[in-house]
Amino acid sequence: MSAKEIARGAEAIVYETRIAGIKVILKLRNPKAYRVAELDMQLRSSRTKKEAKIMSRALAHGIRAPMLVGVGRASICMEKVDGKLMKDVRISARTAASAGALLGALHNAGISHGDFTPANIIIEGSGRLCIIDFGLSEITSGPEEKALDILLMKRQLAKRLYGGFTRAYARTASGSAETLRRLEGIEERGRYQSRALE
Amino acid sequence: MLVLGVESSAHTFGVGVVDRGKVLANEKSMYGISTTGMVPRNVAQHHIQSANAVVSAALGKAGIDIRDVEGVGYTKGPGIGTCLQVGQIVAKTIASKLHVPIAPVNHAIGHIEIARSMSGLRDPLVLYVSGGNSQILKVLDHTNADRLHYSVLGETFDIGVGNMFDSFARHLGLDPAWGSSVEKVAANGRYIQMPYTVKGMDFSFTGLLTHSIKAIGSHPREDVCFSIRETAFSMLCEATERAMLMTSSKELCVCGGVAQSARLRWMLQSVASEHGARFGYAANEFNADNGAMIAFVAERMLNAAVRTALKDCTIEQRYRAERAEVFQ
Repeated sequence: MSAKEIARGAEAIVYETRIAGIKVILKLRNPKAYRVAELDMQLRSSRTKKEAKIMSRALAHGIRAPMLVGVGRASICMEKVDGKLMKDVRISARTAASAGALLGALHNAGISHGDFTPANIIIEGSGRLCIIDFGLSEITSGPEEKALDILLMKRQLAKRLYGGFTRAYARTASGSAETLRRLEGIEERGRYQSRALE
Repeated sequence: MLVLGVESSAHTFGVGVVDRGKVLANEKSMYGISTTGMVPRNVAQHHIQSANAVVSAALGKAGIDIRDVEGVGYTKGPGIGTCLQVGQIVAKTIASKLHVPIAPVNHAIGHIEIARSMSGLRDPLVLYVSGGNSQILKVLDHTNADRLHYSVLGETFDIGVGNMFDSFARHLGLDPAWGSSVEKVAANGRYIQMPYTVKGMDFSFTGLLTHSIKAIGSHPREDVCFSIRETAFSMLCEATERAMLMTSSKELCVCGGVAQSARLRWMLQSVASEHGARFGYAANEFNADNGAMIAFVAERMLNAAVRTALKDCTIEQRYRAERAEVFQ
């Protein structure tokens, strides 16, 4: 079995490999030499467990996410979804709206994604969107985390696409009015202003 | 240019002398914070009483006369208002007597720039960790070399990591000193589970502090000391590693009072090595609050022809690092 490294983050290394001839993705939370062993194992296993739990929750709510193949102490094996990353294509109005509906569905399932950017959305051949990487996700019903999901995507979308994205989100998500109000509040906070000096 | 710098933002009254980037003197007097913490009025009193002696000691160490001084710098902020005022008045007095230019310096930029210079790093990601501050910074935009400034990529949501160690040390009856006393007790400790709070490149320490104080009664103290240190430093390392990847940094620098910890340095070295990055820091006397770093930055500002009228030499308790222009 040969595994090809396809991404390296601060927490995990992602490999593509084959199990019984089927292409799968293996996400491995590798040990950090700087951490004491007990804390290292505790963080790697609790985060893996949480990520798998939230992925199954999304799948159970009919949201398109990679199918889970197996979960280890610090590793998750999942379906390899074919398609193009949204960050690598010219984003159409239809795709932006689909992303809004996808985020609405996640929030309705009680999930805030935590890293909802075009780098974590795969556009499949049919045009359907698949959401990946639940590494920073949380189970939540609060408007703050939800608003941060919208803010993250807003920063990455062209102005002409943002309206369609938000409208589709508002149509899908229950309680979207409160979330959008919170978003305005967040953008007015001093911290975000002081960081955006340029 | 022979520049005298005055630092007085917190418990240290420091005076440094720098000439062409070389430190000729770095003298200081510290207010004892062991039992009561910093009562602003009392710390300012200490600074006023020490000022004359520390200035004289610095001049003596540098082997110069006060009339040789060609420029003056002082800490504008961030810091405690009453304390900042003492350094401001001392610097303004010297500048107006000698008719030399004066430069208001950002305290954080002082720590960062002297550490960057002494470690020989060009464009590092910086972890700045002290009592009042814990931030991850980098110069992101180099396109306009005339107007460089650091951006804060991540920071504490509540208290600085040094402040956390000091509060915890006081609960144990230990000396509060950037975690060094906690570190000594931690030597033979074992890890017990603690709250761990990192959100992307930001972090928070009050949950860890409260939990650790509560754990003192039910666990051996060396275990609690060991665990609070390991948890806090691991949080800083994780956020730093994420920022390194995001900015594709090939250099990492640590500065500020808590940068004196050998354990934190070892951990950050490990993070840097994993990404093939160089790691550096300044000697301890420059990580603790000091006047030399203020003189160092002031000299660069004055060399870049930054001139501030005496009436505009103000202090600002919440003077953030992003707002200070940086000069090479």
